[in-house]
Amino acid sequence: MIARAIEKLTILMQGKIPARFDNTGTEDASERNFAETLNQLVTFMEEIHQFINPLARGELSDIKLSPGNFLASPFKELHSRLCHLTWQAKQVASGDYGQRVDFMGEFSEAFNFMIIALERNEGLLRGKIDELEQALGHIKRLEGILPICAHCKRIRIESGEPQIQMSWIKIESYLSTRTDAQFTHTICPECMQKHYPEFAQPETDES
Amino acid sequence: MFKEERTGYKFSWQDIGDIKNGRPNLGLQVPVLAYRLLQYTMRDVLIAELGVDAANAIFVKAGRHAGTHFCKNLLNRNFGFNEFIAQLQRVLKEMAIGILRIEKADLVNMNLTLTVAEDLDCSGLPCTDEVVCQYDEGFIAGIMEAYTGKAFRAKEIDCWASGDRVCRFDVRALQENQ
Repeated sequence: MIARAIEKLTILMQGKIPARFDNTGTEDASERNFAETLNQLVTFMEEIHQFINPLARGELSDIKLSPGNFLASPFKELHSRLCHLTWQAKQVASGDYGQRVDFMGEFSEAFNFMIIALERNEGLLRGKIDELEQALGHIKRLEGILPICAHCKRIRIESGEPQIQMSWIKIESYLSTRTDAQFTHTICPECMQKHYPEFAQPETDES
Repeated sequence: MFKEERTGYKFSWQDIGDIKNGRPNLGLQVPVLAYRLLQYTMRDVLIAELGVDAANAIFVKAGRHAGTHFCKNLLNRNFGFNEFIAQLQRVLKEMAIGILRIEKADLVNMNLTLTVAEDLDCSGLPCTDEVVCQYDEGFIAGIMEAYTGKAFRAKEIDCWASGDRVCRFDVRALQENQ
């Protein structure tokens, strides 16, 4: 019995799963008990093998250990923490930056620092986007062909009826309502000469 | 106030009293030992007097009662789920009740899988085939009920000990016929 037990334990230590004891013909109660206990150990080790291999590949779903397998406690703990981290990573991905990892040593520090950095960087980006959107709000593009009166230089507003005078507005009004440009009125030398010759300065050589 | 006969629950948050003023020298905290002494002697007597099933049922009911009042008095129930869970984790940690971790959250079907480590009730107990966190089961269900307004059931489905005992709970909203 002991020789067979050593054989099975050796196989276990080699990372393999031995066949269970067949104790159906065993009459000695202590031998039967010994065989059952060893079979239980083999079952626990087999469960651990079936659990840890997918876990090592990152497969977290559909793997479980029987509640009474306390040999596997560290693996259960690892599985649980990975499941929790997976959930937290999904939460962070959806914008929940309140997530923090506790009591996992250096990993906690790194993960928490990453979340804080993500939140800060997103805040900075959002700030830049807001600034740009604000700037864009001020810039109203002028493009296309503007209908302008050949004489008074009024501009016809978009979708304005050409026959109605109200559709035509002064160029200053048109531009100041569509851009951030503001106007101050002055008189160019040519107009000064034409309309106010008494105030006009004589033209210099340069002009 | 505390000793009249009753058929329904009469507990209110004020029954806890003004601990800060009532314990100016000893303060707000007591050792976990005192809590465990109360809980496990109570369990002992209840089992001896009423049997295991009845004692377990009483612990679940008491936990549910406590969880409901805990949520209503200490937690902001207006938060969205994520913020609520973050708040619950923080409060449980600050009050040294346990370390709550969510493993799965199906908000459509109201089904959560969560663990509690360093639990006030059971950390340090040897892991056996027995689940002993009936009070926690009720407590978690009570919190979720007070938050959602729906009936919940929490069931301890696993525990393990690698350093500290960790308990895993399946928490789900009950269907109307359950």
